[in-house]
Amino acid sequence: MDTHESDLAVLRSVGIIQQKQKGLFVMRLHAVGGDLKATQLRTIADVALRYGKGKVHLSTRQGMEIHNVRYEDIQQAKQELASAGIQMGACGPRIRIVVACPGSATCRWGLIETKGIARALDKKYFRKVMPHKFKISVTGCPNNCAKATENDAGVMGGVLPRWGGASCIKCDLCLHSCPTEAITREGEKYLLKREDCILCGICIALCPTSSWTAAQKGYTLFIGGTMGKRPRLGTRILDLIGNKQELYALIARVIGYYREHGKARERFGHMIDRLGPDKVIKEIVCE
Amino acid sequence: MSEEVHKTLDIRGVACPMNYVKVLMALEDLKPGERLEAMLDDGKALIDIPRSAKQDGHKVVKVTPEGDAYSVVIEKGGVT
Repeated sequence: MDTHESDLAVLRSVGIIQQKQKGLFVMRLHAVGGDLKATQLRTIADVALRYGKGKVHLSTRQGMEIHNVRYEDIQQAKQELASAGIQMGACGPRIRIVVACPGSATCRWGLIETKGIARALDKKYFRKVMPHKFKISVTGCPNNCAKATENDAGVMGGVLPRWGGASCIKCDLCLHSCPTEAITREGEKYLLKREDCILCGICIALCPTSSWTAAQKGYTLFIGGTMGKRPRLGTRILDLIGNKQELYALIARVIGYYREHGKARERFGHMIDRLGPDKVIKEIVCE
Repeated sequence: MSEEVHKTLDIRGVACPMNYVKVLMALEDLKPGERLEAMLDDGKALIDIPRSAKQDGHKVVKVTPEGDAYSVVIEKGGVT
């Protein structure tokens, strides 16, 4: 089955990608934060059995793909998936499906509710055309399970701890369990080195007397992370962002900046390195 | 409350969750307010054991580095 290049480009834009076997296609499904309903899984299974080879593939970004779909079956398969509320994904120089860890809804380390943010960002940006592919992740805490620092824009929950001495029994648990050794002890007092604190909240979670408490909670935003052929970890541009409105406004500026300054086929992180991270951060944050 | 340690336990090299199960079993032999000293590895255990102990109402009262390991003294909860 011969397909025109223009057809293929249209299909690719919605995550339907020609395999190396001519006439067979990958159908990438839209699952924000890796969430699908059990009933949707039934539909996916039916479609995979009917039009694929009875197999589904789990992607590295929480996605689900049906492989080996014939060109002539694509529309029917799409319709059946759509009837269960499953849309197609994205491919090419676009904003991809937003990934997210389970967050505070279920994880005991989660500092923020991740899935709602992922859905809001996906709703606003999914498939928007960019200079190159653009990946967004939302992760609940500095454990970074959803790899915020490996995405073009990564949101991470954070909490700034504060020590109050009244009930402290000087057990030194905070001193020894802090992953970055940001806590020191001076006599009967514990001190936090703010520049070394990664806002993980382990001291707060573990403290047996609740002497460490949350002084401030918020979102950390990383930009320019990428894996691939030239890996680069994301650059932290701001932390303890106090509310979602501020976070969303900052992400809008980040995306606008890349659209304005990024060259075609240049990943965001590489653009940042070309222009200089300090300059980029300054221009985005102080805009 | 006595600061004496009533029981000691070496759970170095024991993987999660068995290391905490051993802590719980050792605590069963103690009365509320009595203390268990557990020797555990650096790293994940130093976060997991105190966190689980706190959730179950016990209290870490002292953490001391001993070479590559840590001595963690846990006071059994349930004092009313």
